Amino acid sequence: MALDSLDRSPPPFFRVGFAPLTKLVFFSALSLLLMFGDQQLQFTKPLRAALSTLILPVQWLVLQPGQAWSSLGNHFQSLEQAQQNLKAAELKALELSVRSQQVEQLQIENQTLRQLMGMSSNLSANFQAAEILFDVPDPYNQRLVINKGQTNGVALGSPVIDAGGVIGQITRLYPMTAEVTLLTDQNQSIPVLNSRTGARNITNGDMLEGVPMIELKFVPASADVKEGDLLTTSGIDGVYPAGLQVARISHIERRVDISFARIHAKPLAELQGRHVLVLQPTGAASAAKGKAP
Amino acid sequence: MIMDRREALLLPVSPWFIAGSLISAFLVSMLLSFSHALWMPDVLAVCIFFWGIHQPRRVGMAIAFVLGLWMDVQHSSLLGQHALSYVVLSYFAFSLHRRLLWFPIKEQMLQIAPFFIFAESIGLIIRLSTGNDFPGWPILLSPLLETLLWPVANFILLAPQRRAHDPDAHRPI
Repeated sequence: MALDSLDRSPPPFFRVGFAPLTKLVFFSALSLLLMFGDQQLQFTKPLRAALSTLILPVQWLVLQPGQAWSSLGNHFQSLEQAQQNLKAAELKALELSVRSQQVEQLQIENQTLRQLMGMSSNLSANFQAAEILFDVPDPYNQRLVINKGQTNGVALGSPVIDAGGVIGQITRLYPMTAEVTLLTDQNQSIPVLNSRTGARNITNGDMLEGVPMIELKFVPASADVKEGDLLTTSGIDGVYPAGLQVARISHIERRVDISFARIHAKPLAELQGRHVLVLQPTGAASAAKGKAP
Repeated sequence: MIMDRREALLLPVSPWFIAGSLISAFLVSMLLSFSHALWMPDVLAVCIFFWGIHQPRRVGMAIAFVLGLWMDVQHSSLLGQHALSYVVLSYFAFSLHRRLLWFPIKEQMLQIAPFFIFAESIGLIIRLSTGNDFPGWPILLSPLLETLLWPVANFILLAPQRRAHDPDAHRPI
């Protein structure tokens, strides 16, 4: 046992360092500065990116037990269940193939019409597949982290979709990973088009009785909106390609004393599997080609 | 009076054990945070407070600040939010460290509970003031659970410092 260890040595007489109160004030001021920078000025981005890259292997390690557990569960899933899934997948593939053949024909038709009218052609979005690593633990935000980042060519602001519809948008980009803010986050907005009426709206996330939903903003109480209306991306924002499914209207509340209706929609993104698609923002694609969107 | 202290004579602490305990507390915090339960206690805060009480010259505000920044990045919260609450917690630990250990463990818990509540409310106030919604009442359970973890931390983190009980004719205790 080392005799010079701390418990046996008397406290230093002269070199005691700064007073605790000084240290408290210094570190508190530093945290406040960082918070202000993070919220308003965005100068903490490199620091956050560096720390997050360093922490990535640890996160990977911590996630392993849970993933092993879930893959074990999948392994022992009953044969019947697997066959049912297969049958459902085959049916869905058949449905989709019918639809995709129609889409092909419509696309050709659309292109010819657009050429006839002299409009710039709609760019088909290029995409890459990514995997959801985990949901961000912060209880104030609704975000998740995917395993593609700056090095994979993901751009800030890219839309992220899954089989059901739009999930959200990439709001923080790290070298190896990226953070996706869900449409149900209160700070996330998306311009939508009511596919029945053609009315354009803007939404943001809102909690309705503890369930994360999407709220339609600034819809007059007299507007033609019905429960079950499908909302798709309108494509006028230069971020989301047009026509992606976003949500279905589920709650409409019209009150006499407010001139706007309170409308909530249930997001169509499934968020059940682990795979998502990261699209390129449409504005970025057309900017790279030197055209106006 | 000194006989009241249950752990009056402890072996010196190994710095490696302090570092190891802080790192494992960080990992446990990380693992627990993936459950998304609001009431989940912050194990790292308990660990920082514990070493702030027992080894105030080893684990101070600088370490608390750095660990808080890591926690902010891991939680993807506002950078500096956890750092501030850990620094404040560490300061409270320093100002308490000469007094607290003279009390039995239950009274220690009574005394530290307000500090955990204060540290938790710092984060809450910061987030509410930056425009986030209140996440829900279960968040108030978290500092209480942290207080309940205090005896557990005492048991685990002091274990390597306890002497083996080895009485003989010349040493009756």
